[in-house]
Amino acid sequence: MNFEQFQKAWQSDDAHGKITIDAEALLKEVRRNQRHFRATIIWRDAREVGVAAWMTWLFLHWALRDREWSLYLPAFACFGVGAFMLADRLLQRRKRPISNNSLKACIESSLLQVNHQIWLLKNVFWWYLLPIAAALAVFIAAAVWRSRHIALAIGGLCVYALLVVVLYWGIYRLNQHAVRKSLEPRRQELETLLASLA
Amino acid sequence: MTAQEQEAIFRRWLDAHIGLILKVVRGCAATPQDQDDLLQDVLLHTWSSIPSFRGEAKESTWIYRVAFNTALAWRRVERRRREGYERFLKFDVSPQAQPSPADSPPEQEIVERLYAAIRQLPKVDASLALMHLDGVSYQEMAEVLGISENYIGVKLNRIRKRLADQLKGATDEL
Repeated sequence: MNFEQFQKAWQSDDAHGKITIDAEALLKEVRRNQRHFRATIIWRDAREVGVAAWMTWLFLHWALRDREWSLYLPAFACFGVGAFMLADRLLQRRKRPISNNSLKACIESSLLQVNHQIWLLKNVFWWYLLPIAAALAVFIAAAVWRSRHIALAIGGLCVYALLVVVLYWGIYRLNQHAVRKSLEPRRQELETLLASLA
Repeated sequence: MTAQEQEAIFRRWLDAHIGLILKVVRGCAATPQDQDDLLQDVLLHTWSSIPSFRGEAKESTWIYRVAFNTALAWRRVERRRREGYERFLKFDVSPQAQPSPADSPPEQEIVERLYAAIRQLPKVDASLALMHLDGVSYQEMAEVLGISENYIGVKLNRIRKRLADQLKGATDEL
């Protein structure tokens, strides 16, 4: 058989007749899905930025109440992290792939998005973990400096340092695992697709 | 655009282009469950894309873009759980709806083998093969994929050869 015969057989195939679509149920599902999608995005942003805002308020409240200058630093660090996340979300929302773009344009924007996600997760230590840990370390160091029980304070500082190292190492490893298992394969897949269109 | 206008366009597109969508879905997903899931995703994206449709592209070009972009982003491992969702698709799998092998015209068998062969192709080639078999023009294919018509010609030559090789044994049996 030649290709024209394949084409003829293909075009005579009535795929439409094999299924029926309940248009009312479909519209209901579409609307439900859109509501769910919007709610998921809003909830995710509110949760991430909300936690940062709440922590900012908490540290500011303590700083004002106790007239403690070193508590302004974690407040500032939490505010910075929250502002960074919010700005990044807004910026990336503009660049997200649009499903009615050409396939090439859609792959390119998906690739940019995946690369950005990888960058964020690989650098989570610098933009998220370090500012908050450093600010808290200054607060604890200031408390130790003023403490009359130096041995106890230094012990507390050591426990804090140990906790931070363990917790941050766990968070860092979790992020790198997500990059390796999910984002890197996706990036390779998109690069292969793009190469096949080049 | 009001919700009623969006709904009216969606219903019209569904009537006019559901065959195109189903072929893309069957060409990109193998099992009925995967096809069901991908079809729902494609329809959801099609609905969402309607407000941005300005009539600059043909409706079929637009729908091909949405369908292929959704199929590319869709992955089996990320399938959403749909338990409890109201299903809007009814696949007729009753024995009456399935032609018996004796009644089955050779075309039907060829089409099934074409789908199987297309699913073996790289994703971009599968997209091109699906449009080519549907008789889409080079210009429209170029608009859907975002590459030049010349390159489409080069790729289609390779795809036609590969499909013919894959189906050679199969069509000899028929």
